[in-house]
Amino acid sequence: MSNVLVIAEQSRGTLRKATLSALTAAREVARRTGGGVSALVLGSGAGAAAEELAAHGVPVRLADAPVLAHPLAEAHAPVVAEAARAAGASWVVTAATSYGKDLLPRAAVALGAAVATEVLAIAGDGGEILLRRPMWAGNVIAEVELRTAVKAFSVRPTEFAPAARAPGGSVTPMAVAVDAASLGTRFVELQEVKSERPELTDARVVVAGGRGTKGDFGPLSALADDLGAAVGASRAAVDAGWVPNDWQVGQTGKVVAPDLYVAAGISGAIQHVAGMKGAKVIVAINKDADAPIFQIADYGLVADLFQAVPALRERLKAG
Amino acid sequence: MPLKLLVTVKRVEDPESRIKAKPDGSGIVTDGVNYKMNPFDEIAVEEALRLKEKHGGEVVVASLGGAAAMTELRAALAMGADRGLLVRHDGALDPGIVSALLQALVAAERPDLVMLGKQAIDDDQNQAGQMLAARLGWPQATFASKKESLESEAEQKKQPGVAVAADGKRALVVREVDGGVETLEVALPAVVTVDLRLNKPRFASLPGIMKAKKKEVREIPAASLGVELAPSVVVRRLLDPPRRQAGVKVADVAELWTRLHAEAKVL
Amino acid sequence: MARLFKGAEYLITEATKDDVFTPEDFSEEQRQIAHTADQFVQEEVTPVLDRLEHQEPGLAAALMRKAGEAGLLMIDAPEAYGGLALDKATSMLAAERMGAAGAFSVSYAAHSGIGTLPLVYYGTEAQKDRYLGKLVTGEWSAAYCLTEPEAGSDALGGKTTATLTPDGKHYLLDGTKQFITNGSFADLFTVFARVDKKHFTAFLVERTTPGLTVGPEEKKLGIKGSSTTPVVFEGAKVPVENVLGEIGKGHKIAFNVLNVGRFKLGAAVTGAAKLAFKTGVAYANARKQFGVPIARFGAIQEKVADLTAGLFAAESLVYRLAGLIDDRLATIPKDAAGYYEAYQQGIEEYAIECAIAKVFCSEVLADVVDEVVQIHGGYGFIQEYPAEKYYRDERINRIFEGTNEINRLLVPGTILRRAMKGELPLQREAMKAMEALMTPSLDELDPSQPFAAERAVLGGLKKTFLVVAGAAVQRYMDALKDEQEVLLALADVAIQVFAIESALLRAEKISPRLPESRRADVAAAVKVHTFSAVEKLAAAARRAAFYVAEGDTLTVLLGGIRRFTKYDASGLLAAKRRLAAAALEGERYPL
Ligand SMILES: Cc1cc2nc3c(=O)[nH]c(=O)nc-3n(C[C@H](O)[C@H](O)[C@H](O)COP(=O)(O)OP(=O)(O)OC[C@H]3O[C@@H](n4cnc5c(N)ncnc54)[C@H](O)[C@@H]3O)c2cc1C
Ligand SMILES: Cc1cc2nc3c(=O)[nH]c(=O)nc-3n(C[C@H](O)[C@H](O)[C@H](O)COP(=O)(O)OP(=O)(O)OC[C@H]3O[C@@H](n4cnc5c(N)ncnc54)[C@H](O)[C@@H]3O)c2cc1C
Ligand SMILES: Cc1cc2nc3c(=O)[nH]c(=O)nc-3n(C[C@H](O)[C@H](O)[C@H](O)COP(=O)(O)OP(=O)(O)OC[C@H]3O[C@@H](n4cnc5c(N)ncnc54)[C@H](O)[C@@H]3O)c2cc1C
Repeated sequence: MSNVLVIAEQSRGTLRKATLSALTAAREVARRTGGGVSALVLGSGAGAAAEELAAHGVPVRLADAPVLAHPLAEAHAPVVAEAARAAGASWVVTAATSYGKDLLPRAAVALGAAVATEVLAIAGDGGEILLRRPMWAGNVIAEVELRTAVKAFSVRPTEFAPAARAPGGSVTPMAVAVDAASLGTRFVELQEVKSERPELTDARVVVAGGRGTKGDFGPLSALADDLGAAVGASRAAVDAGWVPNDWQVGQTGKVVAPDLYVAAGISGAIQHVAGMKGAKVIVAINKDADAPIFQIADYGLVADLFQAVPALRERLKAG
Repeated sequence: MPLKLLVTVKRVEDPESRIKAKPDGSGIVTDGVNYKMNPFDEIAVEEALRLKEKHGGEVVVASLGGAAAMTELRAALAMGADRGLLVRHDGALDPGIVSALLQALVAAERPDLVMLGKQAIDDDQNQAGQMLAARLGWPQATFASKKESLESEAEQKKQPGVAVAADGKRALVVREVDGGVETLEVALPAVVTVDLRLNKPRFASLPGIMKAKKKEVREIPAASLGVELAPSVVVRRLLDPPRRQAGVKVADVAELWTRLHAEAKVL
Repeated sequence: MARLFKGAEYLITEATKDDVFTPEDFSEEQRQIAHTADQFVQEEVTPVLDRLEHQEPGLAAALMRKAGEAGLLMIDAPEAYGGLALDKATSMLAAERMGAAGAFSVSYAAHSGIGTLPLVYYGTEAQKDRYLGKLVTGEWSAAYCLTEPEAGSDALGGKTTATLTPDGKHYLLDGTKQFITNGSFADLFTVFARVDKKHFTAFLVERTTPGLTVGPEEKKLGIKGSSTTPVVFEGAKVPVENVLGEIGKGHKIAFNVLNVGRFKLGAAVTGAAKLAFKTGVAYANARKQFGVPIARFGAIQEKVADLTAGLFAAESLVYRLAGLIDDRLATIPKDAAGYYEAYQQGIEEYAIECAIAKVFCSEVLADVVDEVVQIHGGYGFIQEYPAEKYYRDERINRIFEGTNEINRLLVPGTILRRAMKGELPLQREAMKAMEALMTPSLDELDPSQPFAAERAVLGGLKKTFLVVAGAAVQRYMDALKDEQEVLLALADVAIQVFAIESALLRAEKISPRLPESRRADVAAAVKVHTFSAVEKLAAAARRAAFYVAEGDTLTVLLGGIRRFTKYDASGLLAAKRRLAAAALEGERYPL
């Protein structure tokens, strides 16, 4: 039996999208091993999330009990182990979110499973499955073999496309035997992050403007807010006094490495590029088709930013 | 109540060194690479020292690995830890083995809290603490952080972020999770893994360094701890990360959105 | 146990690799101390350099206290007063790492070196009880007041006076001290003044002493983040208990402390140079011109290689000197009565090497910052890039702790003086060298031996010094001490010999332990350095020859110099490229 179990993540009945990436990875494994994929949703009042996941064509076990209301690894791990056994799973997969990373290794011990975290891709030939994962802060990619009978891994959600909706799913409730009194962990509170703009250097997305904004950062700021992004700037924009000093990105400003960097109205001087070349994806919007920024951008759009940026916002809202 | 704290200390490549895979993928190029204490472990040591300063007790640091790891243990002792354990093992380790060896140390030392870095910056596994908690059947609080910033007054005063109750029976741990900042209460003994924003580790003072020379470090052969030492997470080869693709020009906003959404998957 | 060398003995005898201490010999504790200093610089100093630059009140003193908390001020002080009494190698290592702290490195050196050591070496128990504990914790900061408006290089020419009060309880100090590092915030000043206008004497003067005023901050070319002020004494009332050492023996204190100041400066500038170097290679990798990183150009690679080799030599020289001093000091029983007396003499023995370290390393730093600006092109000239500041900050190092001229003059001056006193068999060796000059040797190189070419030339280089110095003495006799052009040329020969030999001995010592590629890097560094140093040495020797000889003597001398300085640097270009590649790859000083 080489079945694959996906551990889902939900909050107040809403499925986290990262789970759908884990589902994609799980299906890739199942395709190779010839097993089936099922999923497990844990929580209290998590039925809607289970239905949502089932709508992606997967049989879902729903462990719904007050003791699982909070994402406590100590409470969730035994349920995962039990579900894996019940599903005849030799693979357990989840998303490398803070929940998945906290939970999976704990559950794996109960299953005698070895774990690979932050998996980027599934490699190997035929039946042999090797997992690609970053080491040394991504300076090196390792191809890892797991040698236990049951194996577990977490996937980096950005590396696997979310599974599409599909028929054939179902939800089956599962009894939960965890005794609340036995737990040594108690949930106290969760302070959700304020939706202010993130720090430039921590932000997942940075929207930056240069001299091409002519001092009007309005459209860029609006886009940034839509994306939960930080706003950056070239030195030309800072020097002009249009934006605060600490927005400057570059050799003599901040060095950023977001997942997405949008440079609008920035020519791409070496000093600027030094501060953002570590971004995973760079988008350039510039009127000048020969601007050097296009040499390093993954996606270049030759356009007036005052038209392109609002249009992009429209497109985002359309989803 | 005085606390007994067991903290792990791993020897890793200095993050400032340039790390790249050997051409044959059999390992990384180690020429010119420096080594240091895993930065997350440094934070764990700092937190333990602050807890000891507040509650009294003892900080024991443990490293698993080759003889060279003695350097990092000494570094932790120089920061102020009381004594060290070096579990000698020259072969490859994986988180399963690490957690099993630590379990054996816990059985001998009986700490109130085991503190680990949330991950080691070489393998970037992020598993050992969770697995140890599972093996021990103890509560776990991973990714410990704190609400105050590293510039705050509490940090200036070097107050611990992990709040252990006066009776030493429970601790409040603030954790950095995806949606925000979570607080858990764990019954002791427990396992805590620490994240970057928990504290700013002190550096070893010169008197600390000189005193560390005289502190006890016990070497324990890994083979003597009754743990199966064959790794089950095996690195088959190392590759260079993919390089930045030559960029493309997109025709319009619609294409840009599609590419970002479906291809790059950043929107 | 290494053999004990006398000062300047390197010029007349052969040393082996086992005779030198190298940076690779540091113990684990010493490496940790270096790490603490690195962290201190990175976490405490670098983030506030801008604020220091603007002379933010209280900041430098606060940093000094933090340095004290880290134990960085305890290295040279005895344990009884809260110090750690560590060796000079450790002290130099810490100074080297603190060298990356920009202007604060100067404040640190002034406090922990010239500011604290006079008290350590010459203070009474009561004086140490009162002050030393405060200085090693950084609670108090220290300054050293020797220079006066009319007494700079002529350090003993000061006019500040000390007059005993009629009740015999105080001295009244009158005069002006100039360019006092840490002046604006120091709590304790070591001040030199003449008792009865005659007897040069040191005093410990507290900042709050009535009659002591600190003048305004000087506006400087560089190290703007350090404090440099005049300190004015107008009837400043200093208790007689605060006389440091003996009345009339102040010159001993001044000079001995300068020896320490010089070797520490050699270490500190080496650290500053490594930092500037790192910035330069990183820029060379990042900057593209003609479609490629400028690091690909031979013109840039050659700079990088030459600087790397210079840094290797500077390190080798500084730590060899540390080893020389430590070996000698280790022979003094710690609890002996005249401990610090003997200790002083132990350091004084290497006054020549201390001066060499100061001159050589400060000039390596000068080369580094100059080329780092050049590598930056126009951006090196712009304040937003750190190269500009490194360039300005460098300049002072060739001026203070004795100008490089004064230090150069001291090298042959001291050698000749010791020879006259019969402490160095210079004459005998010079005769031998002359004989060798007349009888060409036919030794063949064995190129299979590592460093065969360097070994082969080294003996000749020493002989070069001996024959040229011999000729100079013959020509000028006692008057040589006034022939500064000749002395400076001799100094250059002596300095290069020490540098070449130090780099070579270190390479010979460490090579067997190194992985193959690193070993080849080290061999490349030795080749690159030896080549350029021999060129400089030969030029200086020829200069001296023209100064002191004419006719047949000149011909013979020049012929000898040519033969003695013949160095086979085959593979030089490949060595430079290799060295540059190593530095550019790691984006830092690679050895
Ligand atoms: C010592 C030094 C340090 C420096 N450090 C930094 C640094 O840290 N960070 C930094 O950013 N720079 C730095 N610079 C400056 C750098 O060299 C450039 O001058 C600067 O980055 C240019 O900013 P820019 O791209 O906004 O302006 P420009 O180069 O003027 O480019 C403006 C771009 O906007 C485009 N544009 C104009 N209108 C529109 C429109 N309506 N829609 C779309 N595109 C439009 C133009 O085609 C042009 O490409 C430094 C320079 C020096 C000398
Ligand atoms: C930033 C800074 C910090 C300092 N900190 C301190 C400090 O903390 N304490 C302190 O006591 N001093 C300090 N000094 C003083 C410093 O040591 C002197 O500036 C230095 O000794 C040179 O003296 P001078 O400036 O009077 O130059 P001068 O002695 O006037 O020298 C001028 C030139 O003449 C040359 N010269 C002088 N005499 C001779 C000679 N006999 N033969 C050949 N050439 C000669 C010199 O080499 C130099 O090139 C500091 C200076 C500066 C600029
Ligand atoms: C104060 C100041 C005033 C100026 N005034 C003017 C002005 O009025 N008008 C104007 O047009 N410009 C002016 N400039 C610009 C000046 O001419 C350039 O700075 C200079 O040409 C060097 O270019 P760069 O700064 O881009 O350095 P780079 O070209 O980047 O050079 C960096 C380093 O790489 C080396 N290098 C570059 N290419 C090669 C190669 N192919 N082979 C070997 N080595 C190479 C260089 O020698 C240098 O060491 C000024 C600059 C400054 C700082």
